[in-house]
Amino acid sequence: MRFVSFRPASSVLAATALLLIATAPSQAQTRAETLRYVTGASVNTLDPNIPGSTRESFALSMSTYDRLVAFGRKQLNGKWVFDLDKITGELAESYDVSPNGLKLTFRLRKDAKFQDGSPVTAEDVKWSLDRCVTAPILGKAQLLTGSLTSADQFKVIDPLTIEVTLPKPDKLALPNLATVYPMIINSKVAKEHATADDPWATAWLKEHTAGSGAYVIETFKPGEQVIVKRNEAWNRGSPDKPAFFKRVIIQSVPEPATRANLVERGDADLVVDLQASDVQSLESKGKLKVISTPQYNSITFVSMNNQIPPFDNVNVRRAVAFALPYDDMFKAALFGRGAPLFGASWPDGKPLNGIYPFQQPVKIDLDKAREYLKAAGLPEGFSTTFSFNVGQASTAEPMAALVKESLGKIGIKVDIQKLPDAQMSTQINEKKLPFYTEGIVAWLPSTDYFYRNFYTGNQRWNYSSINNAELAAIAQEARFEPDKAKYEEAGRKLNAMHFDLMPQIMLWQPNQDAVMASSIEGYTYEFHRQVDYRDVSRK
Amino acid sequence: MRTGLGATMVRAGGRLLSSLPALFGVLVFTFLLMRVLPGDPAVFFASGPNAGKEEIEQIRKQMGLDKSVPEQLVFYLSDIGRGNLGRSMMTGQPVLKDLRERLPASLELTFTALLIALIAAVPLGVLAALRPGSVVDHGVRLFCALGVCVPTFVSGLLLIYVFYYLLGLAPDPTGRIDVFTSLPPQHTGFLSIDFVLAGDFEGWWAACKQLILPAVSMALFVIAPLARITRASMLVSLGSDFVRTARSVGLSWRKVVVTYALRNAILPVITIAGIVFSTMLGANVLVEKVFSWPGVASYALDALLSSDYAPVQGFVLLMASLFVLVNLVVDICYGIADPRVSIG
Repeated sequence: MRFVSFRPASSVLAATALLLIATAPSQAQTRAETLRYVTGASVNTLDPNIPGSTRESFALSMSTYDRLVAFGRKQLNGKWVFDLDKITGELAESYDVSPNGLKLTFRLRKDAKFQDGSPVTAEDVKWSLDRCVTAPILGKAQLLTGSLTSADQFKVIDPLTIEVTLPKPDKLALPNLATVYPMIINSKVAKEHATADDPWATAWLKEHTAGSGAYVIETFKPGEQVIVKRNEAWNRGSPDKPAFFKRVIIQSVPEPATRANLVERGDADLVVDLQASDVQSLESKGKLKVISTPQYNSITFVSMNNQIPPFDNVNVRRAVAFALPYDDMFKAALFGRGAPLFGASWPDGKPLNGIYPFQQPVKIDLDKAREYLKAAGLPEGFSTTFSFNVGQASTAEPMAALVKESLGKIGIKVDIQKLPDAQMSTQINEKKLPFYTEGIVAWLPSTDYFYRNFYTGNQRWNYSSINNAELAAIAQEARFEPDKAKYEEAGRKLNAMHFDLMPQIMLWQPNQDAVMASSIEGYTYEFHRQVDYRDVSRK
Repeated sequence: MRTGLGATMVRAGGRLLSSLPALFGVLVFTFLLMRVLPGDPAVFFASGPNAGKEEIEQIRKQMGLDKSVPEQLVFYLSDIGRGNLGRSMMTGQPVLKDLRERLPASLELTFTALLIALIAAVPLGVLAALRPGSVVDHGVRLFCALGVCVPTFVSGLLLIYVFYYLLGLAPDPTGRIDVFTSLPPQHTGFLSIDFVLAGDFEGWWAACKQLILPAVSMALFVIAPLARITRASMLVSLGSDFVRTARSVGLSWRKVVVTYALRNAILPVITIAGIVFSTMLGANVLVEKVFSWPGVASYALDALLSSDYAPVQGFVLLMASLFVLVNLVVDICYGIADPRVSIG
């Protein structure tokens, strides 16, 4: 019986063997001038203002559009991070803030041009800012946090000067203009594509760009990849020259293990969202550059619904805070890659400063926890559910198991509930979850901003549903406090209240681990937690 | 016995028409199913750092969720009637466009995998049937068991680890083509065909290289059912009277096995291949994920996780239509393999 052979199987093997020979050497030259960035999510719109846009879309828009101003950068423990306090001009050559803080005047660069070659004028700036506060887009809610709410506030003085008027001196007005949303659009082009139903051309700008940024879209395949090429005329970077890379490929690779393989094999240059375990092993091999920056504008916490019994009792919340196995959770979830927000020592029992987030003086102490339970009138404990979403399972799952085990020791029976992301956000929005873990990010991390957005009001981001009139009043007042010392004092007060009321338990700030080829330089941790392609270059 | 291509076509058309009620049922059922699933997509998509109630309402309106369910259903059906499958919130594109772009990728992968599986499985099955109980038979059984018990994402990751990571033989396992290769003008959407049409054989080879690992990991998984069914029906066929007669009149061994036994044994294999094909199309989601393959299955999964209704509904409708088509093709193949069978 000779006729059956493994010919098909062997031909597959032979074909795979042939791949060795067929690696393409012709691509070698372009490779050095190309940045290949791989990510788990994808760019789903070219206008970051569209509801539902992803972080990848934010990062892309930073490179395809310019804003009036940009954040500077500073070193934090030897790593470059964005600097909230240093605002430099991007399209603006310079800017002035009037002594009473109510007028911001921006003078535009004379040489700034849109990607189609037409000059950037104050009219374009006004149209773009008007769009941001008028159109039903994401920018509206963001600019609100900087007292920018109406088109009347933006005034064209001359073709190169624009003035912004504020109702109150708001320290977040200027930084807001450096965030993702208030990008400057070529208004002539956009208007051509506006319709009666869509006067701000949101539909067209979703799939096209009309900016003045460092990169021009070459191909855009939502869900797969975006390729951009350098805008040679762009000179808004700090050293006044075009961006380093001629091309940037932003590619979606959903499997984290594959992303790790790609960067290790040298096929990808840069990746930010790897699993902590992969980062650790890549770091230990020492071939690649790993830059780990604590995400100093983000927090992971365990939240308790302050309106649902038994978590409406402050002693129950305190009991939980002293029953969590912080160190084990930190190791199991993140391999210790981050900045802990537990285990502080407050020598005089008061917060060390007025900055949020801060390290709280909590650590596992089961006796103390039992005392608090007794004080709450629940010495035998109770039953509850602990929820997390599937998207965060790799870190939240080991954490949840440890929470369950530890709380079990003081009589609190915990059921772990793993929810699909959409279901989790719905339940959070409806305030139905008693006890869960979540993470938050603020682009403009100032103390009053955190407290106003995450600890007041009946809105979704008030995760713990805390309703404390005094806390809300202090946070609201602090917003417009021009005096630095008084602001600091308000911050300390808020932090002390946080520890006392324990609405939710801050755990840590996870690291942003950027893994890159050793030749890549200039990586900076940005407020949008993605890579700004203009920052990086190759040695 | 019906004869002529015309009659076959008429019958095939009739079969397609008669499947319309089933498709309609699938349509309505999926629609309702998506609505009863927990999770509000508007809240999910309004998950930016500052999306409040207003943004949620706006997305709800955009997705048409502000209307009552019966109203939504009527709108949905009339949209479908006009060939509009709605818009995906994830990609921001019309679902029809997304599916049209991604379906060729899935089909190309599935066809290749099925071809590899058939080329491997039929000889294996025949071999096992010729010597039942022998070492060869046990070997085939072991191979099949291994193939079917290793999930596709495990075999996929293993293949990547060995051929890409360790040996460096395979190209990087991301997508259908090396990011540095330019794409051919699109005719069929099948890269392996489009490159040939464009006369770009270097590109064709690059596309084929990308295709090998995912197709092999999918094929490994379905070799087992195909080989087992081949073996079983070959056994029946080999033991039947006509094979004994053929042998006794002294026909060549090859003619007996291939022309008489295999031809008769192939019918069930075709049926199973059709079923396997349909299931593979939907079930290759893990392979698509592992290899970043821009196909329909991974698209549908992402949509499902984020409660993005329109793509999921579009995907289910697409799968149902394909299933109808595949069944029809199987029946036609039946007719070719055995003229006594006709589609009816």
